[in-house]
Amino acid sequence: MAGWPGWVVLLAQGVLAGNLFLLIRRQPLSLYRQDFVGLLRRLLLGPGGLSLLCLALFGVTQLLSQARPALAPTAFAITYPVIVGLFLIFLAQANYAWRSLVFFKSDAALRKRWQLLEILLGLTLLSQLAVGTVPAWLGFPVLFGLGLFGMYLSSNQRWVGYLTQGQKWQAIGYQSAMLSAMLLFVQYFRFTGPAATLLAPAAQHNFLLLTALFAAFYSLTGLLVTVFSLPTAGVFEQRRAEVVGLQRLTQIIQRGQTSVEIYQTLLASAVQTVQAEAAALLLLPGVSASENPDTSTFLHHLSEAQAQAIAKLLPSQGAQAQEIIIDDLAALPGWPTNLTFGSLVALPLHSVKNYYGVLFLLKTETKGFDADDLGILNTFTSQTVLSIENLQLVADSLSNQRTQEELKIVAQVQDSLIPKNLPTDDWFDISTHSLAAKEMGGDFYDFLLLPGRRLAVLIGDVSGKGVTAAFHMAQMKGIFHALMQANHLARNEREQFPLPSRFMSQANAALAHCLEPASFITSSLYIIDYEQGGFMFARAGHCPTLYYHAMREEVSYFVSAGLGLGILRKGGYDRHINNQFYDYGPGDIMVLYTDGIVEARGTDGSEFGEERLKSLLQRCYYLEAHEIKDLIMEDFNTFTAGCPVHDDQTMLVIKFKTAQPEPGS
Amino acid sequence: MKVTAQPSADLLTLLLDGELDASSAIVLDTQLAKPEILNYRKVLVDCTKLSYISSAGLGVFISHLQPLQDKDVKLVFFNMQEKVFNVFEILGLDALMTIVPTQAEAISA
Repeated sequence: MAGWPGWVVLLAQGVLAGNLFLLIRRQPLSLYRQDFVGLLRRLLLGPGGLSLLCLALFGVTQLLSQARPALAPTAFAITYPVIVGLFLIFLAQANYAWRSLVFFKSDAALRKRWQLLEILLGLTLLSQLAVGTVPAWLGFPVLFGLGLFGMYLSSNQRWVGYLTQGQKWQAIGYQSAMLSAMLLFVQYFRFTGPAATLLAPAAQHNFLLLTALFAAFYSLTGLLVTVFSLPTAGVFEQRRAEVVGLQRLTQIIQRGQTSVEIYQTLLASAVQTVQAEAAALLLLPGVSASENPDTSTFLHHLSEAQAQAIAKLLPSQGAQAQEIIIDDLAALPGWPTNLTFGSLVALPLHSVKNYYGVLFLLKTETKGFDADDLGILNTFTSQTVLSIENLQLVADSLSNQRTQEELKIVAQVQDSLIPKNLPTDDWFDISTHSLAAKEMGGDFYDFLLLPGRRLAVLIGDVSGKGVTAAFHMAQMKGIFHALMQANHLARNEREQFPLPSRFMSQANAALAHCLEPASFITSSLYIIDYEQGGFMFARAGHCPTLYYHAMREEVSYFVSAGLGLGILRKGGYDRHINNQFYDYGPGDIMVLYTDGIVEARGTDGSEFGEERLKSLLQRCYYLEAHEIKDLIMEDFNTFTAGCPVHDDQTMLVIKFKTAQPEPGS
Repeated sequence: MKVTAQPSADLLTLLLDGELDASSAIVLDTQLAKPEILNYRKVLVDCTKLSYISSAGLGVFISHLQPLQDKDVKLVFFNMQEKVFNVFEILGLDALMTIVPTQAEAISA
């Protein structure tokens, strides 16, 4: 065996070492979540256990060589490469386990540096094959530099900060065991060192040396960092608990939980964070958890009576309450002697506007709380108040949404009040237009065909907009249908229905009781009688009707006096309303509208106006009712194009025709 | 919309400046709702600079008309622009409220 050329052995070793490292690089012991201790344990029980195998092999060899000295070289020649192999596995596993620790919370730069180290180590392996023995003046500084680089990477021990106290002790144990395992290997090589030339010229070549150095150094640094961080572990743990507590509080609102759960989380987090032995959260009766009004007390190792008694002893109470630490409760006047607590911290829960209640925590020892505790508890309470108020905002916006839905229903109901089926007869034509500015409007109109070829037409406008106007408009429609019932006691058919002025008086009296103080209604009622060829009307403050007289070929507004409804509520209305009579002929046109038409403004701020409406009718009187309406609305829309709709718009066009003679007459 | 109140002896003059719509109606309503209004013999409304009145604006005057009459406080409008007067007229308020051309007539009314 010794006769093999040196380069063959080197090549074999190099290929073995390189492949082993590459293999383990691909499937290293990996870090699951943040189970650092688990990783250390697996590392020790797996690769670390190889050192025991090494010890066993060494023992067997020793025993064999004592019993049969002749066999010693052979035994050594067999065990030595095996142990070198085991050591290689051990190093590769250790280094790649360390890599996952180095990479924990690392940046890209660090990853690059690690790759550089790997490449450089690979080069040392190759250099042995290519150059053979590297001259010492070159080899040593390079080795030294690489060693320093490895040590520099060993300083990345962030994971230690994430260990709890208990985990740190475990980590120290595992790290020490790893170092011992390495020591076993090293001892073996030191023992066999002189004899190793038997097998290979440079068994402990630079690659092994460097990786061993790095593995050992990282382990040692980790151990030291862990040992030195032990005293501060408690602080770290508290900070972690604070962060987790805060996270829980903030997440609650996102999960849509209840205020009871928020208060429970506050109490649990506070107790855990400051390690309190007892605690209570007392809410003001008024602000207790809204969905469960009985839950106004949250307790931890205290009875309700005890909690209430302690709350009464707090120096500042209610909305003026301030946070306070009491170091020695025994000295507090009135402190119940049966309570064995020594110190207390109390915090009020309040926002800028509201006071919610008080949270206090107790410890047996005196001086159990410090300013740090108060600080973190303060963060908890303000976060809680924030969550509670957020919860209320969410609830408010939900109820707002419901209101919006209900408003939509009101709008639908109102829409159903607008007559969809227009009355038809052979002596008139009707066309209508209506548009509400908001979801609900105050404009209304209605028709009723009365016996004896008569037609009642009502139009009107409730002042104001929105729900109030919608209600009043519905009332007005109700009044119209109630008053327009046939009175069978009347002397003749013509008197069965109220005259328009009588209708307005009665409507005014009915509205006086239910109309808002600043609301009023303008309205016009026409009762058109075909057989008499005329109509009666009353105008209660409503926009004057535009009329086309076919015989005279004349367009004019009906000017008459008449007071709006709901203005005079204590009587005397009769004096301010009267009936007008008018004879009409075929071809005559009535245009009834609300002020949303004539007062609508164009882009230049001017009003559409009565004159423009009048001149429109002058130009199109010969068209059918629906054509007239379309033409007016087309001009209206051109005039108001691009301007927001401020008021409801309603328009009715009625055109009288020459009727067909009634069958049988 | 600006509402300026000018008290003098038993007269109160309200100067309206601008457009009296739904939002400015609240300002006027606060003025007319003050209890001391009822101590005056007459409330004069100067409409010289009143360029527009909406139904909400009319509603304010309407809602205070009855209480003022009950306490014998006269409400007199003067110097009303034609367009504004038209609105009062259509609603029939010209028959119900005292609307005069000049301040002098308003004081003597």
